[in-house]
This record gives sequence, structure tokens and C-alpha cells, in this order.
Amino acid sequence: MVNVPVERHRLANGLRVNLSVDRSVPLVGVNLWYAVGSRNEGPGRTGFAHLFEHMMFQGSAHVPKNRHFELIESVGGSLNASTWFDRTNYYETLPAQHLDLALWLESDRMGWMLEAMTEEKLRNQQQVVLNERQQRYENQPYGDWDERMLAMLFPPGHPYHHPVIGSREDIAAATLDDVAEFFRTFYVPNNAVLTVVGDLEPDRALASVEKYFGVLSPGGPIPPFPGNPDLSPTLGRTVRDEVEARVPLPRVYVGFRAPSLKDPAFHVGEVTALILGTGRASRLYRSLVWERKVAKDVSVHLLPLELGASVLLCWITGYPGTSPTDLETALLGELEGLAMVSAEELARAVALAESHFLRELQPVGERADLLSMFDQIFQDPARLNSELDRIRSVSERQVEAFARRYLGPDNRAILAYRPREGS
Amino acid sequence: MRTAPGGGELSWGIRGAPAGTAGPGPGVRDPSTPPGPGPGRPFQFPEIVSAPLPNGLRVAVAPMGRFPLVTVAVVLLDGGEGEVEGGEAGLAVLAGRALEGGSTRRSGQELARALEGLGASLALHTGWDAVTVSATALAPRLPAMLALLAEVVMEPAFPEPEVERLRNQQRAALRQRRMEPGTLADDMACRVIYAPGTPYHRPLIGTASSLEGADSARVRAFAGRRYGPRRTVVVVAGDVGPEEAIRQVEGAFGTWENRGGDAAGGGIPVARGTGGGRIWLVHRPEAVQSEIRIGQMGAPRNHPRHLDLEVFNTVLGGIFTSRLMLNLREKQGFTYGARSRFSFRRKAGPFLVSTAVTTDVTAPAVREALGEIRGLWQEGPTPGEVGQARDFLTGVFPLRLETTAQLAARVSELFVYDLPDDFFRTYRDRLAEVSPRGVQEAAGAVLNPEEMAVVVVGSAPEVRGPLEDLGWGPVEVLEPPDA
Repeated sequence: MVNVPVERHRLANGLRVNLSVDRSVPLVGVNLWYAVGSRNEGPGRTGFAHLFEHMMFQGSAHVPKNRHFELIESVGGSLNASTWFDRTNYYETLPAQHLDLALWLESDRMGWMLEAMTEEKLRNQQQVVLNERQQRYENQPYGDWDERMLAMLFPPGHPYHHPVIGSREDIAAATLDDVAEFFRTFYVPNNAVLTVVGDLEPDRALASVEKYFGVLSPGGPIPPFPGNPDLSPTLGRTVRDEVEARVPLPRVYVGFRAPSLKDPAFHVGEVTALILGTGRASRLYRSLVWERKVAKDVSVHLLPLELGASVLLCWITGYPGTSPTDLETALLGELEGLAMVSAEELARAVALAESHFLRELQPVGERADLLSMFDQIFQDPARLNSELDRIRSVSERQVEAFARRYLGPDNRAILAYRPREGS
Repeated sequence: MRTAPGGGELSWGIRGAPAGTAGPGPGVRDPSTPPGPGPGRPFQFPEIVSAPLPNGLRVAVAPMGRFPLVTVAVVLLDGGEGEVEGGEAGLAVLAGRALEGGSTRRSGQELARALEGLGASLALHTGWDAVTVSATALAPRLPAMLALLAEVVMEPAFPEPEVERLRNQQRAALRQRRMEPGTLADDMACRVIYAPGTPYHRPLIGTASSLEGADSARVRAFAGRRYGPRRTVVVVAGDVGPEEAIRQVEGAFGTWENRGGDAAGGGIPVARGTGGGRIWLVHRPEAVQSEIRIGQMGAPRNHPRHLDLEVFNTVLGGIFTSRLMLNLREKQGFTYGARSRFSFRRKAGPFLVSTAVTTDVTAPAVREALGEIRGLWQEGPTPGEVGQARDFLTGVFPLRLETTAQLAARVSELFVYDLPDDFFRTYRDRLAEVSPRGVQEAAGAVLNPEEMAVVVVGSAPEVRGPLEDLGWGPVEVLEPPDA
């Protein structure tokens, strides 16, 4: 069902390169994964990986400020980047004839970014990121949920203890020295995967990659993560945090430590999340939204993480006047019910996984991102083609065992929001 | 402030790397300027095959075969705009969402199990102009998916408990819109831009009072008046042949009879409110940012100068290198983002500039945004800007057609907005004709910065004085409606 071709190369400087031909659209998706994210931030430097991502758009030796965006947009391309706990990705999708432009721009900032850095640009992007933090977190109802949830799920000193956005103080304290050191340490060819998907000639594309990236020198070995990434697979107890805040409706988040992305049991977690909370026929929607009408909406996600544990996250929003305690009781009751999983609901989960995965693969940029991910985490981009087989191999009994091991009272972090009176 | 190694103007090369990190720097940059393009690849919009069924329902099929997927979009050609204002506000959304409540043959849960068993998630979307009932599944499952979607649309039961549940959800959603600063600002802007009692004045999902009496009987009557084959288009996009798809759609929808169900809504014209030329301040306790909206009534989707207006918007706030972004974000550091948008609908939807800024720069941000709007409106774009915007819109067109769902949505637009069949095929040629003068003329005819309304949702005591000091217009406090 999934047969995405992929050609792998490795340049002498350590850059991993994946090429995947698809002539059905006149486009190419270019994607770079750097194996650096918020997990690499030391004390007092939270939010830096993300701030650095912003600095990567501030120009490089041969590209003035704003020119990167201008060049891509003026050929009809789209571009962006994102920072996550384990990685930072940079990507553009553009008309196929402009592949070299994207490669040249990406290589310029991988090789020659520091020459263009100035105090003014750093101050400007600190303001932008502080505004981003306000817009997405501080000024939003429930905006501090991830900070509170991570603090419960991961102990102080663990690389996932703090959210990717970081603290205001740390963002404001960043210096140009930090930018230089981070760049030299992590933005090196041997810490990156480059993937190109679309209407390309592999030999020509490889020659361009070699031409633009091949001249970059490798960096040194990547330093170990700050803090202590060791973690027990479960929390060992239930932890809670109750908040009264200016929120429109009561809401309860429940987070669980779950198997790491590298653990074969991760796929059981994915199927469990689908059974629990994806679609109207999922357990939580059917029971809490449809039958008991205690919740207005439900959401379940498995956040994929590499170090020690991923996070399985459920949240349910109540109606005005619902007590968060009732929401919590209803949600936890449904988790007990996972002691018995039927063949029909397993089949539903697999069918949804199949169509979701294929839908996700359609844009060349998404496909490139997945190939980069499978390369970085498993050193095997072609693993993408067998991903659905692993989902299909999950059994009812495995889901039941997963629920027993990971969804019980010894592994729950509960965060409840109660609307403040008069708000 | 610490200085960087190498000192000077804080611009240093990679070669001074401290020991223990990166090795020697890269070699010589070749070329040192961006490389030009290779040979271009042609792009053709997929061939759309369209056919009416004997009952008046139209079918449109657009093939796309890279993956074995197919999307079906059942488009009911009336949305929230055609509601009778006042009592019916929000009924179109409620009826659309209540389609999940089951058919006369099966409960909603049974339908959901059947659809999701095929890997298809039912998406119910009501806009101002249409209700879209859609789903995507593996191509071999098309016949089963079509049969279920037909049952959802042709035989809705609207049982009272389901309508009540969904009405309660909708009322709770109103509360959410009221407390999220971005949606509150959007809603308040439309409230002052449009006259009361006309479309777009109030939220699409209705108001607390309009939803009060929205029960099963009213939903059923509304749907009975609106839903029928003559006002429906079924779009199929994906890995299926046109004849095959048309035959299957006919199999599923061919028995749908016309029993009323073709009452086109939309009798009330849009009208400007009296909110222009003023700053409307909406207090939000504990706000650390101000959500700013600046705008006025824009233009309908079938406006003859649609593309000129698109280019105007692209230059002003439609892309990263737009004037608003370069000024408010990259120059001033006021915001994470600033953008502008025409909501092109069947009638003239709003034109809105949107941004969120730290409280203490609220007034300067309003001043800068107004300055950018006025500057572009008065002087028009430069030829370079128009060229860039045209190239952007031309190039990005196929990027927005990468999925079966995107393709189905574009094909739906042809029907919802009565666009000519060759609309997408001629899009690039028409875009090539857009000129700086044409852009300025079109914007001059549709917009006028002095008539725009400014809405600020934020900490009123802190921002009021500075906003008054701008001298742009009176500052008035606006109370949000109950939710």
C-alpha cells in the first residue's frame, strides 16, 4: 500500500541525504532535520533552541535579512521551521525547477550563518519570540497546560521537564555568544538529515547537494544531554495539579508516560490512542460526549519522544457548570474499560490509521519530513514503507496489556482547570 | 551585555571557533549568489468531469492518483448567510452538525462505527456559503463510503436529544469564542463593520439568544427547506475514474427526491455598520497582549477585480515578506505575526488586518499598521512587489493542490461561487495581467482606510490613553455580548 522510493547517501562531512522521486507533481519538498531541540538546553537556557531557529531566518553571509523568505516566496514556495523536544526542522516546498535555490539557501545558513548575526537581529527576534510566547501561551485560556503537565511527567533535570518555548527570563537572557556556540556545536552536517522529495533527477540533485553542502566541514562530537535523561517507564503514582483560572469551560488533562518512539510498544500506544479518542466511535467520544454528555469534546494524542518516554495525553472539556471532578471520574472510568478490547474496535483503529497515514504522505513536504524522521531516529528512512505493517500487527491483547501497564493510577498526571467565579 | 569573540561590530566568522566544538570552517562559497532555476515543469489543473443526475444533483470528479485515496465532499449550497437574521442565527451550523445525530435507519453511533470502520472520519463543516459533509478513505472503499454519506445527508433524523446536545455544545463554543482573545477580536470587528440584522454582523454559530429556541423541530424544518438534490454537488477527488465515480454517486444519491429542499437563502443584502473611523476598545482582564483588528467590508468572491485584490492583500499582509510583517515583526519586534485577509464570500465578507502585540506597544502597532494600509492604498504597490506577489500566487497554486481533500475543496468553490468551468485553468494567465495600476484602482474602489474600524481586545486601562493620543479617531468602549 505504501511504496515510497528512497535513495540514501552520506557526504564525507557526515550529512545524511535522502532522495525520493515522485513525478506526479511539479514540486519538490526540501527538509532538514537537525538533531537538536529543547532537550539540549542547559539550565538558564530554556527556549534557546527555538529562539535559535528564529535566528536561522535572519540571514547568512551571502543572504541579507529577509532575503531567504523573499527568494522562496517570489518563486511561489512555502517555507517554515519548527522546534520540538528532540529536533528542529526546516523545510520548504517549491516548484521543482527551483530545487537548487532551496539547497543553496539551506547550505548557506548551515555553513555561513554566524557572519550575518548582529545584536540588533537578536534583540528583534527575542521580542518576536516573547510575543509568540504571549500569543500562544500567556494570553490564551489553558495556555500554561503544557508547562504544568511536563513538570509533573518529567522530574527536574530531565531534558523534557520544560516546554520548548522556554521561560521569559531565559529567552530574554540569550546572547550572541550563545548563538555562536549553539551553531558551532549543533548546526553541523554530521548532526543533520537532508531529504528531498518530488520531481527530481536523483543524479543531478545529488550533485547539487554535494556542490552546496559538500564544502562544509564536519563539527565535533555532539555533547551529551544536559541533566539526567534516565527515567522509570511509569510515574509510580498519581500526581495532580488543580488550577482556578480565567478559562471559559472546565477542562481536565490526563498525561501518562508512554513508551519512547524507539520502543516497539510505541505502536501499541498509537493504536490505544486511536481506540480511546480518535473519531466519533472512539471510546471517549461515544461515552463522554454522546452517551453521558458530560464532555463537550475529547482529544487523545500520543506525543512522540525519544528519551525514555513519550507522552500519551487526553483532555476533555466540560460544559459550563460541570465539575472538573466529574469530568475526571468519567474519564478515568473509561480507561478502566480498556481491560477488554474488541476485534471491531481494533479494526476501526487500524482502518483510521491507514487512511490518516496515506493522507499525511500526500504532500511532498510531509513525506520528506517523515523520511528525515525515520532516518534520524532509526537510521532507516525506508522504514516509512513498513510503518503500517507495525500498526496492523498490534493485537487486542497488546492494547489491553498496554492499558494495564501505562494507564493505571500509578502513571497518571492529572491537571484540572476550573473556571474562576465571574469569568 | 557581553561582546562576541572577535569583538568589533559583533559580526564574526566561523573560523574563530573555540576549541572542542566545530572544526575548521567551510570552504569557499560557490556560487556566492543564489542559483537560477532549472527547466520549468508544466502544471495542469486536473481535468474535472462534471455531470448532472436526473434529480438535479450535480457530480464533479477530479482524478488524482499518486496514493490509493479518495475524498468525497457533499456540498449543500447554502450556509449560514441565508438564515433569516435574528431568530435563525446559528441554525445552519446546528443543522449541519446535527447530521452526526443519525439517520431514520440508524443511530448516529451506528453510522459513525460504519464510516470509521472504513477508515473514513466524517467531517461536517458549515461556512457562510455552504455546508460540506466530507470524508476520505482508501479508494476501494468509495462505494461503501458514498452509501453512508448519502444516508447521512438524505435521511437525517435530527432526534431531539441529539439536537439538544449539539445546541449545548454550540453554546459552550460561544463561551470559548468570547474568552479567546483572537476569536473575540474577530467577532467584535464584524459586529462594528456590518449593520445589525445583516449577514456577517454576528458569529456564524449564532448568539446565546438565537440558539435558545433551536430545537429538533426547527432544525428539521430548516434542513427540509434547504437540503435537496437541486442545491447539492457531490465532489469526488482521488484515485478513481470519472465514469466509475459518477456511476457510484448516482447509485448512492440517485433516489434522492425533490421535496422542497431547494430554497436558496441569501435574501438579505450586506450593509456597512457605523463603526468606521473609530477605535473600539474591548476590555479583557489580565490581558498581556492586545489583539488588534483593522478593517471594513471587503468584496464578494465573484468580484471582477478579485485577483487585483488578492495581489493587494499579498503585498500588504499575505506573505512573510509583506509590508505588515516586515514592519511590525522584523523591524519593530512588536509581534509574532501580522497579516491581512479578504474573506471572499458570496457577499462582501470582511477585509481584516490582524495582529497580536504586547500591551505597551498597542498604540504604536495600530499607528504602524494604519500607516502601512494607508501607504499601500494611496500610492499602490511597486512593480517589484506586484511581480513578486504574482509569482508567489502562480507558484504556490499547485502547492495547495497536493491532497485529495484540497482538490475537492477547490472544485467545490467552482459551484459555491458560480465560477466558470475553466477558472483554475486560466488562473495563471489572468494573474499575469495584474498590474500595479490595476491593483491600486481595485483597492481604491473597494477599500478606504479612513472608513476602517479599529478593534482592540486588551487591557483597556493601559491602552486607552495611548490610543486616544494617536488622534486617529474617537476611542469607544465596546462590551462583548453575553455568552
